[in-house]
Amino acid sequence: MSQPVVVYEPFKAGLPPMREYLRQLRHRRGFISEFARSELREQNFGSIFGQLWLVLNPLLLSGVYFLLIYVIGGTSDATRFGHLTSTLFLFYLIANSLTGGVKAITSGQRLILNTSFPRIMLPLSAVVVAIFRFIPTLVVALVIHAILGLPFSWQMLWAFPILLIAIVMSLGMAILISCVNVYFRDISSMLPYLTRSLLYLSPILFEAKKISSSIKQYEIVNPIFYLLDSWSRVMVHAEAPTAKGMLHATIFAFTIFIIGTYFFLSRERDFAVRL
Amino acid sequence: MISLSDFNHEHSRGSIAVSVQDLGLTYTTSIEKKPTLKARLKSLGRGKKHTRTVKALNAITLDVHYGTVLGIIGSNGAGKSSLMRVISGIVPPTKGRVEVYGSVSTLLALGVGFNPAMTGRENVYLGGLAAGMSQSEIDEKFEAIADFSELGEAIDAPMRTYSSGMFARLAFSVAAIVEPDILIVDEALSTGDAKFKEKSLNRMKELRTADRALILVSHALATIEDLCNEVIWLNQGQLMARGKPADVIAEYQKFMNVRKSASSDEDV
Ligand SMILES: Nc1ncnc2c1ncn2[C@@H]1O[C@H](COP(=O)(O)OP(=O)(O)OP(=O)(O)O)[C@@H](O)[C@H]1O
Ligand SMILES: [Mg+2]
Repeated sequence: MSQPVVVYEPFKAGLPPMREYLRQLRHRRGFISEFARSELREQNFGSIFGQLWLVLNPLLLSGVYFLLIYVIGGTSDATRFGHLTSTLFLFYLIANSLTGGVKAITSGQRLILNTSFPRIMLPLSAVVVAIFRFIPTLVVALVIHAILGLPFSWQMLWAFPILLIAIVMSLGMAILISCVNVYFRDISSMLPYLTRSLLYLSPILFEAKKISSSIKQYEIVNPIFYLLDSWSRVMVHAEAPTAKGMLHATIFAFTIFIIGTYFFLSRERDFAVRL
Repeated sequence: MISLSDFNHEHSRGSIAVSVQDLGLTYTTSIEKKPTLKARLKSLGRGKKHTRTVKALNAITLDVHYGTVLGIIGSNGAGKSSLMRVISGIVPPTKGRVEVYGSVSTLLALGVGFNPAMTGRENVYLGGLAAGMSQSEIDEKFEAIADFSELGEAIDAPMRTYSSGMFARLAFSVAAIVEPDILIVDEALSTGDAKFKEKSLNRMKELRTADRALILVSHALATIEDLCNEVIWLNQGQLMARGKPADVIAEYQKFMNVRKSASSDEDV
C-alpha cells in the first residue's frame, strides 16, 4: 500500500512542520501576486486617476500637516517639509500594512473555511499591497527632495537596508494584528486610534533631534521611532543613520516579526473553528 | 495541507483514498457572538466562562476507497460538514487520525466567492491558487469552468451582484472541472435551477470513475440512492450505519420517521 499523502492529527500548540509549510507557501506565491493585483485593481490602481490619487492623498496630507506646523510653530522651511513628506510616506507603508492586515484573516473567512492553505498568505498579501502603494510615493518623495533643493549623497543608499527593516516591521505587525483580531474582534475598530497615536508619537510632525531628552528617553518603546529617524537622516539630510537608531529599528522589527509569526503559525490551525 | 497539483497519481479501483480512524472533533466557541477584548475584560473579574464546546464528531472510523461514491446522510447538525472539513484538512481533529491518499477538493472549497467585491473570474483564480493550482493550470481550465457555469458576461461582474444560484453554479463548475482525486460535494447544488441541477448530476455521473473517490453530502435521498454505491448515516456525531444505499436510507427514514415523500426527495 502506498504511503499516506497527508495525515491529519490533533492540533498541538506549537509550530507546524516548517519545511513542508514553507514549501506550500512557495508553491502558492502566485496567490499573493494575484491577490495584490486584484486588490489594487479594486482600489482603482489600474486607472491613471487612481494612481494619481494614491500619490495625491499623502501629498495633500503632508500639505495639511505642514500648514498645521506653520500655524502652531510660526516658522517652517524646506527641510521641514521634506522631512514631513518622506517620513509620512514611510509611515503610511506601516499603517497600510496594519489596516490591511487586521482584517486579513477575518475577511478571508470563506476561503479559510473551505480550503486548506498556509493562512499566513493572507496577511502577507496585505503587506504586498501596502508595498505597491508605497512605491509611487517614494518616487514623489524623491522629486520633492530635488525640487526643494535638499542635498543628495551616497549615504542615501542607506535607504535600502532601512526599507528592508521597514518591510520586516510591516510584515511582523500585519501578521501579529491579523491573528490578534481573530480573538478580539474589536481590535480592528481600535486600530485607527492606534495608528493616529503612533503617528503623533513618531518623528514625523517634528524632528527627533528637536524634542527634549526627557521625552526622548521614553521613545525607546516606540517601535518605529528610530526607524523613521534613520529614514529622515538618510532621505532628507543625506547623512548616514546612527548606529543606535539602526540597531533599535532592527531589533524591534525582528522581534515583532518573530513573535508575530510564532504566534500566528502556532494558532493558525485553530482559526477555522473560531471564525 | 494538500495542493491540488501536487499529486496526480494513478489510483487503482479499490485502493484506499481516505482512512479515518477513531476521529473526534470538538468545537470551542465563545458564548458571545463575537469575541472582543471589551467582553473579555468585562468577564475578567467575575471568572465567568467565556467558551462553550460542541462535540461535533465522536469516534468515527471509516475507509473510503477509490472507485466508490460515498453518500453521507443525517439530520441538520449531525456533523456531516464537520467530517468533510476534517478530511480536507481545514479543521484539525481533536482526537484520532485521518490519512488521505490523493488530492482533495471540496465543493465551494476552492474558496470561490471569497471576496465578494472581486469578479467571478478573479475569485476563480484566487480560489484555485489558494488551493495550490498553478496559474497555467487555471488558465487551461478557465474556459471550461466559465462554459460549464453558463454565467456568460456575469463572470466579469463582482460576485456581490450574483444571485445565490449563480454563486452555486460557479462553485460547482470549479469543483467539477478541476478533477481532483477525491471530490467532496457538500450540498451545494440545492440552489441551482432544474436545468443546471440535471447538468451537474450528469457531470457527477461522468466523474464517477474508477480512479476517483466521490463523497456526496446531501439531504436529497433519491439523488444519494441514484448516485452512490455506499452510504453512511451520521447522527449527533456518531456513525449510525454504513452499507448499501437502499438499506441505510431505509434505516435512516425509519429513525427519522419520515415517509418517502416528495418533500424529502426534491433537491440535490
Ligand atoms: N464553526 C463552528 N463553531 C462551533 N460549532 C460548530 C461550527 N460548525 C459546526 N458546529 C457545530 O457542530 C455540529 C455539527 O455541525 P455540521 O455543520 O457538521 O452539521 P451538518 O451535519 O453539516 O448539518 P447540516 O445538515 O445542517 O449541514 C453542530 O452542532 C454545529 O452547531
Ligand atoms: Mg452541512
